[in-house]
Amino acid sequence: MEASPIQVIGLRKVYRSRFGSKRIEALAGIDLDVRAGEVFGLLGPNGAGKTTTVKILLGLTFPTGGQARLDGIPCANPESRRHVGYLPEGHRFPGYLTAAQTLSIFGRMSGVDARTVKGRIPKLLERVGLADWAHVRVRKFSKGMTQRLGLAAALVHEPRILLLDEPTDGVDPVGRREIRDLLREEARRGATILLNSHLLSEIERTCDRVAVLRQGRVAAQGTIEELTAQTSRYKMVVSAPDDGLIASLQETGAGIERVNGHLVVSTRDLEHVNALVDRVRSRGAMLSELSPVRSSLEDVFVDLVTPSPSPPVSPSGSIAGTESQTGGRGDGGDGGDGGTGG
Amino acid sequence: MTAMRAMLASWEEIFREAAARWTLLAYFALSTLFILIFAAAVNLDVVNGALAGAKLFGQSVDMGGRSIDIDRLVLGFESGFSGFLYIVGTFLAIFATAHLVPRLQEKGTIDLYLSRPVGRVPLLLSRYTGGLLLAAANLLYLLGSLWAIIYWKTKVAHPRFLLAGLSILFTIAALLAFAFLAGVVTSSTGVSLMTTYALFFLAALLAAHAKIAAAVSSEWTARLVTGLYWVFPKTAELGRATVALVGGRGTLRAVADMNYFAVYGSTALFLLTSLTLACWLFSRKDF
Repeated sequence: MEASPIQVIGLRKVYRSRFGSKRIEALAGIDLDVRAGEVFGLLGPNGAGKTTTVKILLGLTFPTGGQARLDGIPCANPESRRHVGYLPEGHRFPGYLTAAQTLSIFGRMSGVDARTVKGRIPKLLERVGLADWAHVRVRKFSKGMTQRLGLAAALVHEPRILLLDEPTDGVDPVGRREIRDLLREEARRGATILLNSHLLSEIERTCDRVAVLRQGRVAAQGTIEELTAQTSRYKMVVSAPDDGLIASLQETGAGIERVNGHLVVSTRDLEHVNALVDRVRSRGAMLSELSPVRSSLEDVFVDLVTPSPSPPVSPSGSIAGTESQTGGRGDGGDGGDGGTGG
Repeated sequence: MTAMRAMLASWEEIFREAAARWTLLAYFALSTLFILIFAAAVNLDVVNGALAGAKLFGQSVDMGGRSIDIDRLVLGFESGFSGFLYIVGTFLAIFATAHLVPRLQEKGTIDLYLSRPVGRVPLLLSRYTGGLLLAAANLLYLLGSLWAIIYWKTKVAHPRFLLAGLSILFTIAALLAFAFLAGVVTSSTGVSLMTTYALFFLAALLAAHAKIAAAVSSEWTARLVTGLYWVFPKTAELGRATVALVGGRGTLRAVADMNYFAVYGSTALFLLTSLTLACWLFSRKDF
């Protein structure tokens, strides 16, 4: 079986102060498995361990324990980075180089011969919207332009894996859309993309799967749909929901809200939902829709990263976010209209 | 193949940076100015291999009615100039290259380099060799131009003059290795420069280690002074050796008691130790 392009197994990283008196656990044993051709989002508040994970993958930082592999090759081996394009956050290209020179130098550093790089540069600059700036020194570039150049430098050797740290940072809305389209193109080409961003809307629009890190652990992992679906809250559209029906449903312990003519019910589990449906039918009411209420990724994110008495830590690979949501909502009863509860 | 391409790309970047920096442009401009002044100011009247008359800035130089052997005169000038260049060339080369590691290690920059399929040691060595190539290019320009002008004016050609370049480059290599070590440890161009210049002077002072050791009160201090002398590069002796290398037999006598093997050998050992340590620390560093 072919190895996943990005594999992280039980990865740990402990930073120690200069004299070893202070110890900070940046990663407490995380597991990630990014499949070929997937766009994977890495989320988490500051200090959650996102950047440390990426830095270990690129051999910039050494792990304290566990394994990190790119293309099945351990990250300590520079060969693992042969087909990897990286856009770091706050990158600084040498200001004295022009855009074309930058791409030429970094392309050759990735092992591509000079002639091939030279052929690729005009097309690449065109793709990132810098065609007219090829021979201008980088020091004259705006932040957005530097970001575009960074993306071009990450793509110059046509990598199979892309690790992108805040790729749209400093880019205007039109540019963001262009970058998003470019990433989709790369994904269609078959590239595996690991996206590290604070912009949840970006992640929501671009990623197939996401992992939320919190305090060096994977708090949740799954597709956007899996993370945002809530098994505890359902939209129930019932014909003429009278007070009697509502009282009957409340008798089961369900939380009921009337929202725009329909009911939003908070339940314990799937069995509870079925019991509610039985009650609706037994009272002769017509059920025309029953669907889980989805929250936004932002709601899920805030719920996951907000400290709570019982932190939502779960084994990786499962939809820990959904489980923790259920627990969180359960505690809160029928409180609110889909807010974060945080 | 990747390592070679990466090295060539790294060299190109170093030369492009040098071209964009005012310090190096100023160095080239000053060198060129010096060469042009020298070419325009000195006019020699050579008769049968001897200097019969000389004009400096259009003024005749009083030679007391004697003729001077032009070969010896040129040799004297070249050996003297190589001594001057030993100090100026070394200082300028370190000034122009000491930032190579601290700048590489800057946040936002190091990520761009280490994320390429190049090992850390080859990356550091490509910067080191690039810095040396830059220093060599400067030396070749200055020494080569002067040598050509001297030949044009006197028809005397001493290839030994060009050997001074190798000796100076060797000293630069040893000091640059130390600057790289300081750069890896501190990530500061300022500290890297200061410690390397301090090393140059301290090592030069230690040329008198025998006298210093005899003057100090404790035996332990005397041993420390002698030990440091053997550990550090022999900057004073290397300067004298450079002059002797150009001057040939005439000047060699002045430094005849010098142990050349010890001078070059111990400096080479210092170079290798500094560079190995720099590579080892760089390859273990968390960024």
